Amino acid sequence: MILLRTAALSLRMLARSRVRAALAVAGIAVAVFILCAERAVHSGIVEATAANERDTRLIVYRANRFCPFTSRLPERYADEVASIEGVKSAVPMQIVVSNCRASLDVVVFRGVRAADAARGIAARVRFVEGSLDAFLARGDGALVGSALAARRGLKPGDRLSAAGITVTVAGIVDADGPQDRNACFVQLPFLQAAAGGVQGGEVTQLEVEVADPAKLREVATLIDARFATDLAPTTTRPEKAFVARAAADLVAIAEFAGFLGVGALLAIFALVANAIVLSLEHRTRELAVLQSVGFPGKALAFGIVVESSALAFVGAVVGAGAASLVLGLGRFSLGAEGVLVEFRPSGVTAAASVALALAVGIAAGLIPAIAASRKAIVEGLRAA
Amino acid sequence: MTGATAAADAAFIRCTRLTKVFRRGDTEIVPLRDLDLEIPRGAFVSLMGPSGSGKTTLLNLLAGLDGATRGELWIDGQELSRLSRDQLARWRAKSVGIIFQSYNLVPVLTAYENVELPLLLHDLSRRERHERTMAALETVSLVDRASHFPRQLSGGQEQRVAIARAIVADPPLLLADEPTGDLDRVSADLVLDLLGRLHRERGRTIVMVTHDPLAAARAPLKLHLDKGALESTRVDSVSMEGARTAAGEVAP
Repeated sequence: MILLRTAALSLRMLARSRVRAALAVAGIAVAVFILCAERAVHSGIVEATAANERDTRLIVYRANRFCPFTSRLPERYADEVASIEGVKSAVPMQIVVSNCRASLDVVVFRGVRAADAARGIAARVRFVEGSLDAFLARGDGALVGSALAARRGLKPGDRLSAAGITVTVAGIVDADGPQDRNACFVQLPFLQAAAGGVQGGEVTQLEVEVADPAKLREVATLIDARFATDLAPTTTRPEKAFVARAAADLVAIAEFAGFLGVGALLAIFALVANAIVLSLEHRTRELAVLQSVGFPGKALAFGIVVESSALAFVGAVVGAGAASLVLGLGRFSLGAEGVLVEFRPSGVTAAASVALALAVGIAAGLIPAIAASRKAIVEGLRAA
Repeated sequence: MTGATAAADAAFIRCTRLTKVFRRGDTEIVPLRDLDLEIPRGAFVSLMGPSGSGKTTLLNLLAGLDGATRGELWIDGQELSRLSRDQLARWRAKSVGIIFQSYNLVPVLTAYENVELPLLLHDLSRRERHERTMAALETVSLVDRASHFPRQLSGGQEQRVAIARAIVADPPLLLADEPTGDLDRVSADLVLDLLGRLHRERGRTIVMVTHDPLAAARAPLKLHLDKGALESTRVDSVSMEGARTAAGEVAP
């Protein structure tokens, strides 16, 4: 009973110290915002690059080329790949990006033949607005991924211009993978004509679906062997391995961001500890008075830990909420060499960040709480 | 009951060879040295003496805020040195109300909340706490200031709130450390009147440290400390008789 009443008293006193509480909460919120953003980058990288046993997609690229501007494959390769045992489908795809370097707002055009639209697009997306027929009905029609549409505020009928190409939005599509959620699918002939430096009959890559996920590597080897002595030798990788290689710079950035996450946690610890220690120094006499009234040291220590936990919790909720809002509304994706990594807010990440901040808050308040509760009352009463 | 306990019960407060020693580096400071003292239940005692004579040290020991280095201190049949830190806290909550010179109200709590503080340590419902808090504020004539924060009160009002906080849990012992030290004469008289009433009407045992001869004059029993030892004791017999009568009539 005394513990609960002391906790309630501590929270009331904290709420009345608005400036102190607000400053501590603001600092913690910023740290948790950084933590959530870092976790979003991390989970985006994992989502885009971590292979799993259900993956069935291969990317066939020109050997020793690492950029969509330099990878050139004959369109006819698609038919030859389709005939390889274990291949379910092969779709030639032209990739044109608005920015080949790392950028937060990259538009990736994916040119697909009309004949491949059903299996190359419709089979892997869900239509949010518009239809495949509407897409095929006009030469400059585009199916825009949901993340790109949200970022650019696009709806069917709007026009999108990037990399010198202007398309008309025929539909909005959602997908499980970040590459498709951020893509702008257009018809291949249109893209080959609209993009400078792209020749008819050539594409950037082939996207191959294999029948058996267990044979992903085996099929990749067969494809590369088929074209090893051809005019345009290939390098075939599972899509996520391809993304991991293409986005190696982003992975490095994400690893660095991991340090920011650790830094954010340390910042939360330091902020809570600082707020509590400063507050206790300022309230030495107040605590001594409470002890003189009869509050046991343990109850006061509990109250102080409740206070530090409350600061951490409120700061974490504000920070995680702000991060979810910013990341959710912004729909940011970081692109490099035509592959994209999304920074999406996640309820699990937000909850984990709040829990982590709370744990750090408790830990940060513990030592000052114990020290304060053990301080001699008489000394505390003499404090200024 | 042991002989020692029986002896201790004879007086409400009994100090036997009470000694407090502080160490500051190599220097040993002895603010209280082998103090023997008995204070009857229901007495109103003023404790005077020059600075450094050990008055506040004695008050801190009586309040259970500090521990003696040697000797025994019995209060209402309880030997304080045998209590753990937590037991002492419980004892303070039940048995003693402390009034400080600088009021020591919690600045972020209202007068009502400050007075209610000791009751949070007792098994009382919210309604019971409210009734007792309002009664204590009524006693110090500050019901109309219940929602005011300490910064919105005068010094005299703050001290009256502190007195309300000291008496709200109905402890048998009130300890006041220079309760009028920071007050003007009018406010000081109000506070002293209040302490006198608590002594006369409710039979509280009150020990008041003061430098102020006018304040000391209000107490029937006057103790004078010097260099950690009791130098003189003066009893106003008429007033003491009144104190004993009050103590006998009003249950502590």
